[in-house]
Amino acid sequence: MTENFERINSSGDFFELLKRSGHNAQQSLSGIPKNAALEIPQGTTVLAFHYKDGIIVAGDRRATAGNSIMYDRCDKVIPIDDYSLMAIAGVPATAFEMARILSHNFEYYRRSQLRAMSTEGKVRALSKLLKDNVAMALQGVGGVSPLFAIYDTQQNKAFLYFYDMLGAEFQILTHVATGSGSPMIKGVLEHENLWGLSPLAERSEGEATSLSIRLLQTAAQFDSATGQARPEDKLYPIIAKVTKDGYQFIRDDEMETIYKSSMNRS
Amino acid sequence: MFEEPFRWMEAISTRHSYVREKLSKGQPVIGVPCKEGAVIVGFSPQPGKIFEIYDRIALGGLGHPADVERLRMTLLDMAHAEGFNRSAEDVTIGRLLQFGLAPALKQNFEEIQRAPYLIQMLLAEINHDGYAEFFRVNYDGYWEKFKQGTVIVGDIKVSERIQKMIEGTDFLSLSLDQSIHSALRIWEEGRKKPKLAGESDSSPEESSEVDEEMEGFPVDLKEAFERWNLEVGVLNNKTTRKCLFRSLSESEISALQSKMG
Repeated sequence: MTENFERINSSGDFFELLKRSGHNAQQSLSGIPKNAALEIPQGTTVLAFHYKDGIIVAGDRRATAGNSIMYDRCDKVIPIDDYSLMAIAGVPATAFEMARILSHNFEYYRRSQLRAMSTEGKVRALSKLLKDNVAMALQGVGGVSPLFAIYDTQQNKAFLYFYDMLGAEFQILTHVATGSGSPMIKGVLEHENLWGLSPLAERSEGEATSLSIRLLQTAAQFDSATGQARPEDKLYPIIAKVTKDGYQFIRDDEMETIYKSSMNRS
Repeated sequence: MFEEPFRWMEAISTRHSYVREKLSKGQPVIGVPCKEGAVIVGFSPQPGKIFEIYDRIALGGLGHPADVERLRMTLLDMAHAEGFNRSAEDVTIGRLLQFGLAPALKQNFEEIQRAPYLIQMLLAEINHDGYAEFFRVNYDGYWEKFKQGTVIVGDIKVSERIQKMIEGTDFLSLSLDQSIHSALRIWEEGRKKPKLAGESDSSPEESSEVDEEMEGFPVDLKEAFERWNLEVGVLNNKTTRKCLFRSLSESEISALQSKMG
């Protein structure tokens, strides 16, 4: 623990601290032959869109490897700091590690520099992680394609970003979905936004959560790698919002009620 | 020249005197518990007295600002590396001190060719049972743990007076606001020179006299509010946030000033 005594760097850069502590977050598998038989858990539907108070982020709970369902209670929407959330699609091992690095990165910066990192800085931090992970992604064992939702308390505005596996960031002004089940619902989102009862950005929290559950059920209907809700096992999608009050997850007991009402035709 | 044991001991003793003299005018930083968790208060001429270290850990520093900053960064590095490699639950002040900072500080202090750290630290933590704990760390690595709260201040007489007052107050039964008020009153009272035996109770001039060491510094809360910056750090156990620390905002400090100063 004393290895960092008197080796101070005041830049607030957590990547540098990790490096100094001997951690190699972006270790590539150079020289290791690709194992064609290796099946990595992945497959997902995560979605996010702007609604009246901020951004709704939702994801199913299933992790698959090839044709096998590996896990049915995977949390794919991960809090990063008080005002940001990351939704993951791709290889969970890499995605969870990225979320942990990012979370420590933001907090370490805020505590050491005595001010929060800018929204742009946070958005780029995730981009850097993805860029550093390109070798793993190209080898087929570490590809991640995340969504990042953040509320900027200076500008009083919510921002939503989509990233490709190489680290390019795209700001989303309306809605986005990623993962193997996303093609099934992208059209529905667009249709809802253009010709639904109201544009997505004007919908209430109740309307937004209800739509999210319906979209995930739809994706699960057509994509085997996306898990359906199982009320009998109290297994529901994970839904969170990012607003001026920070992030907040919809509790399981609330989800039960929302799920029941959402499954009715209205 | 330091090979002989006596010379080494003499050098260490001189070092102690040097550091204590440098710290002697350091102003009190008080850490006390409250119903909501823990609070640390302190006045200083320049901002930079109370800091957040990790999710449940706060720091109050006294001494040379550059040394406070170095050790703050050391604690931040240790806490974040540990929290990342293991878990936030493994980041405790006890571990950070016992296996990290204290041995390193002791080694630094006893390497007499190197400049010693001019610092005292007060660390507060909400443990995983939800209770506040306080730690006082000396420049030579010596540290103590307190449950009822503690103080760091350059003058040892003032330190003893304030510690006694802290231990005589049932802070755990007080709300956050009440704890801040009481801690500030103790800050003010603790710096006053105590009456000698036989002195009349009806001599307010005498009783409000500050210690000689404190001459030139604000004599009461009113003056302290006017001349210095008050910093208040809170570890709030009632929040749903992962990070329990928050600093009182400027408007909250102004409200305190109009109430107390």
